[in-house]
Amino acid sequence: MTTTVDLAAQPAAGPPVPRAGTLRLIRSELRWVLRRPRTLVALGLLALVPVAIGVTLTLTDGIRAGGGAERGGPSLLAAVAGNGLVLPVAALSITMVLLMPLVVSMAAADALAGEAAHGTLRGLLLAPVGRVRLVMVKAVGVLVVAVLAAGLVAVTGWLTGMVLIGGDGLVTLSGTTVPLGTATLRVALVAGWVAAQMAAVGAVALAISAATDHPLVVMAASMAGLILFGVLRSLSALDWLHPVLLTEGWISVADVLRDPMPTEGLLTGLLRAGCYVLIGLSVAVARTATREG
Amino acid sequence: MKRRKATLTAAAAGTVAGVVGLGLLALPTSASSAPSLPPVGAEQLVESVLRAQPPAMGGAVKVDNALGLPAVPGVPEGTALLAGGQARVWLDGQGRGRVQIASSGGEQTIVHDGSTVWRWDSASRTVVRSSHPEPQGVPGTVDPSAMARELVGRIRSSSAVAVDGTARVANRDAYELVLTPAPSERTVLREVRVAVDAEKRVPLRVTVLANGSSDPVLQAGFTELTMGQQDAGLFRFEPPAGATVKDAERHVDGPSAKKAGKPTVVGDGWDTAVVVDLPKGEGGQDPLALVKQVGKPVEGAYGRGWLVSTRVGSALVTESGRAALGAVPEQVLAEALGGAR
Repeated sequence: MTTTVDLAAQPAAGPPVPRAGTLRLIRSELRWVLRRPRTLVALGLLALVPVAIGVTLTLTDGIRAGGGAERGGPSLLAAVAGNGLVLPVAALSITMVLLMPLVVSMAAADALAGEAAHGTLRGLLLAPVGRVRLVMVKAVGVLVVAVLAAGLVAVTGWLTGMVLIGGDGLVTLSGTTVPLGTATLRVALVAGWVAAQMAAVGAVALAISAATDHPLVVMAASMAGLILFGVLRSLSALDWLHPVLLTEGWISVADVLRDPMPTEGLLTGLLRAGCYVLIGLSVAVARTATREG
Repeated sequence: MKRRKATLTAAAAGTVAGVVGLGLLALPTSASSAPSLPPVGAEQLVESVLRAQPPAMGGAVKVDNALGLPAVPGVPEGTALLAGGQARVWLDGQGRGRVQIASSGGEQTIVHDGSTVWRWDSASRTVVRSSHPEPQGVPGTVDPSAMARELVGRIRSSSAVAVDGTARVANRDAYELVLTPAPSERTVLREVRVAVDAEKRVPLRVTVLANGSSDPVLQAGFTELTMGQQDAGLFRFEPPAGATVKDAERHVDGPSAKKAGKPTVVGDGWDTAVVVDLPKGEGGQDPLALVKQVGKPVEGAYGRGWLVSTRVGSALVTESGRAALGAVPEQVLAEALGGAR
């Protein structure tokens, strides 16, 4: 009897109401995220990018004649010709600049702001699920999209590279040859690294998502942030600021194609992404916790 | 309410931790204090630097440059590094070595395996093989500390040499050797500082300072260094599948060196000037056309010309395609052009 009285006295505070298991929550969230047609279409299109690059390179017999390397541009593509295992890395480095963040921020926008726009967030906030847990479940949903995006690009890139371009082993940028198994491991490594960077983008997007009721704002703000970072990075007068920018280390993706592999840039990039994840999730939790239920 | 407060506290702590983490990443990593080392005489230090055998070591070299030079497309390796880049270096202490100069999305590898020098360029996917390398030129191509040693050897006779404290470079203790030009030298440089490893007497960092500026105009040094035996596989090179392998012509460094003619060295020490004939290029690749764009028109006994000035020196190019370069004022270059005619 006393318990019921306590419950009535402080309905929102304690844990006495039976709670849904976290795993079950995550499962239902993932079902919700992955059945969304726009998520599937976006991921599918993303997976087609390496195929498109591979086909173009095969048809045009490489782009070496274009002299892309001279301008210091994405000469990674030049290294793809006859060297199929470079394709997944090149595709990841191209898509991670804007396309992948777009997909991830879309998922983050749907996660909280989208629910708010539909009026369904209110129900979630009142449900017997802690708000921290709610944010964490949503974060897992975004993380899965990030991992899927990077993984799909890496897998289709690997397959396209092997089928269309071929080559046994990987000729590194340093001029050495790495056997197929090690090269595949390196592709997996860089895919994981890109997923971590995308998780950082997603965490920040989730924080914006928690702060607004309009999904479009989330996507616009994420994209604007990335473009702003790009602009800041091009200003050499602000080079003291550059190590703080998330996109600063993204050029290290090419490091997996060097031999011996330099790990410093990748490691710094990973730590930087970790800091962004921490900040993004903390802000998202704080904002959701203070939201009117 | 209590729980909400705890959540907010945790969130604030998380945000702060993230921001602090980012701040730590942004902090420069040097900032270690100067080590205390037994005093050493300047001449003695120079002697030991010139005599030291290159040890087996591996590390990363970083070049910072504030010359304000425009990046010139199509110039061979080393230039990209000089424009502010990074390279990784391995030496086995017996004359073999490997250098990898990284650019965004590409790399140039130079391997000296004892008898052959291989130069790999990932952008063009070509390997240039020189089977009879000049015995003198080889260590310099793969060993940055050898270049520093050569620099010290060249300018010491016309410099005041001093030891100015100690430094910590790439986690190793080093003496700071300072070479200041003698008063008779006509140069735009103020001093060259060389950080010399206290134990192995290898130059670890070279800093060039020009008159009228406290910031170095050029600094090249190890950011990371491990002494000791390196993986033997690093000192072999096998051209990868699909690469074009070319044999270099004897004693010719690059394709343009032959066309350019032999450089003449005028003077010695700090006010050395080098006079060369510019190679003739076609279209936008013509060096003379480039000089006309970036240079300032000047006139003198040599006729009409263009002067390209940077903070560490100048280049004077005449209409006929002769060029004088050096870390010297314009007047010295004009004299060099006159003298070498």
